[in-house]
Amino acid sequence: MPGIWIFAERKDLALELLTIARGLASQTGVKVTAIVSDQGDQGDIYIAGGADEVVLLSPLAEDMSLDAWIPVIAAETKGADPDMFLVAATARGKDFAARLAARLDTGLCSNCIALHREEDGTIVMERLAYGGTAVQQLSCSTRPVMATIPPRTFSPAPADHGRSGEIRKLPPPPPTPVRVVARKTKERSSQDITEAKAVICVGRGMEKQADIDIARQLADLVGGAVGCTRPISEELHWLPDDLCIGLSGVQVKPDLYIGLGVSGQIQHVTGIRGARVICAVNKDENAPIFQAADLGIVGDLYDVTPKLIEELLKATSR
Amino acid sequence: MPNIVACFKWVIDEAYIRKGASGTLDFSAVDYKISDYDRNAIEEAARLKGLHGGSVTVLTVGASEAAKGLKDALSRGADQAFFAGDPSFSQLESSQTAAILGEIIHSRIPYDLIICGEGSSDQYAQQVGPRLAENLRIPCISYVQKLTIGEGGRIIAERRVEEGIEVVEASLPVVVTVLPEINTPRIPGVKDTLMASKKPVVTIKKEDLPAVGAARLQTLGMTATRMDRNGEIFAATPEGIVRFVEALQKKGVIS
Ligand SMILES: Cc1cc2nc3c(=O)[nH]c(=O)nc-3n(C[C@H](O)[C@H](O)[C@H](O)COP(=O)(O)OP(=O)(O)OC[C@H]3O[C@@H](n4cnc5c(N)ncnc54)[C@H](O)[C@@H]3O)c2cc1C
Ligand SMILES: Nc1ncnc2c1ncn2[C@@H]1O[C@H](COP(=O)(O)O)[C@@H](O)[C@H]1O
Repeated sequence: MPGIWIFAERKDLALELLTIARGLASQTGVKVTAIVSDQGDQGDIYIAGGADEVVLLSPLAEDMSLDAWIPVIAAETKGADPDMFLVAATARGKDFAARLAARLDTGLCSNCIALHREEDGTIVMERLAYGGTAVQQLSCSTRPVMATIPPRTFSPAPADHGRSGEIRKLPPPPPTPVRVVARKTKERSSQDITEAKAVICVGRGMEKQADIDIARQLADLVGGAVGCTRPISEELHWLPDDLCIGLSGVQVKPDLYIGLGVSGQIQHVTGIRGARVICAVNKDENAPIFQAADLGIVGDLYDVTPKLIEELLKATSR
Repeated sequence: MPNIVACFKWVIDEAYIRKGASGTLDFSAVDYKISDYDRNAIEEAARLKGLHGGSVTVLTVGASEAAKGLKDALSRGADQAFFAGDPSFSQLESSQTAAILGEIIHSRIPYDLIICGEGSSDQYAQQVGPRLAENLRIPCISYVQKLTIGEGGRIIAERRVEEGIEVVEASLPVVVTVLPEINTPRIPGVKDTLMASKKPVVTIKKEDLPAVGAARLQTLGMTATRMDRNGEIFAATPEGIVRFVEALQKKGVIS
């Protein structure tokens, strides 16, 4: 039975996948099935967003993780044999997709950033390779064609309340060998850096957490937000993970990006390619960031940043 | 005492890839390395061995050149290495890699815990670990930032998810994929390197393995991403900073 299936753990991400699914389905006339967790919203919103069928996953027991659905959804997928299966690339989503792909013995394009259908029906998917050095184009020779889509790569599907569709529920799956014993919610940043007009990025050149304050001052001055490299959020835990920019973090597209003590490895630069003007302050004149930048200052960020703030204040008050 | 297997990939160091004419990739001057996060995988295996005893086996699949990575891997606290090498193994797709790794582990290496990196530096498909677990029909715990082996072969893992941390528990055997923050990989010393040369290496030929299935994904194209900007550099002098700010104004990014 041809069709496009989507699975996302959150509503906003499901709507992003529906944008892609609806686009492809309108070219081929197949049905769109959305598999989503039952959060009491009855599924109408997914139908308005473009699904023809909504499969609601009953809430899981406290000690169960999303993994528990894998055998159930694998069985459903095998039965229906869809053409395509899209999954939102959250951590659990990526793990889910890889394991589902193994069970279905099919290919999976991870972190797919663009896709289209050729005239002959081939789905061409794009992803980054070699840390972001290259864009790889892939096709898949087995069914279903699977891809994980990073959050915010596509805009959410608009609601069309005139649409109709079917809604069904899946009963909770049996317990799995992996038990959740605790959940800890972590601090999230209050600002959404993917929408910021200016981003000041903190790199490892920053000596201690308190020093991030100078990046904040600069950000406030230019009306922007503070972001960081992966070591700052992940190894040092100085800033929340959702501020990490790059291959494994978010893509930003501000008018102005200023990296302070950022070396500019490809995995980071990949996340700032959409910035209009890229600037860097780094004491090493050979730092790769200068090749990716429009404007750079070779110097110690502790010396340069305060002076830069002062000069910007003068310039903007003129 | 757990038998731990750490899977590592010998990859092209992306920092050496140059951009050829018209968007092609120039691999002529590349160097190779152990995939970044696989150093964390090996380190975690060695760390757990230090606490609980047992053994550490490092395992890689790749082209013949990947043999060069064995000594590096062995100098990081492993006891022995398994290497499946063949010229046709240089461009494997995740499903094929996971199939070969699964076959080797299943038939040749006693295991309680298998550790993979979160993702490889070249492909970053983030698939081989979870696929391997499915092939071996054992649980997978991905994106782990803290790992503990408790009483009676229970494993407790903190996995990072969008909302925070999910602490999970399972009985061994399991596959775990690790984040770089889980530990700081050691820098092997001269003695480690010397000792590594004396450790056993089991080499497996393609003929010794069941036929590898066809790739599920086909690469249609690979083009270099463009990111060179004209990089105007200013000195960290008062004049340099004034000119820098003027340049920002000229570009219209500050008012
Ligand atoms: C698969 C994979 C995925 C990854 N994903 C990401 C990602 O999404 N995002 C990301 O950021 N990274 C990512 N990385 C890591 C990436 O490769 C780099 O290690 C990281 O970006 C480096 O961060 P950094 O620039 O802060 O630190 P470093 O590379 O340590 O650079 C610090 C810089 O600060 C400069 N410096 C030091 N002191 C001063 C001073 N006083 N004044 C001025 N300059 C100073 C130094 O010259 C140096 O250039 C990934 C890596 C891999 C393998
Ligand atoms: N050729 C390989 N040999 C051994 N382990 C591998 C190989 N490819 C991938 N892996 C393991 O699987 C992880 C994820 O790889 P990937 O799915 O390519 O992102 C890596 O960090 C390694 O631990």
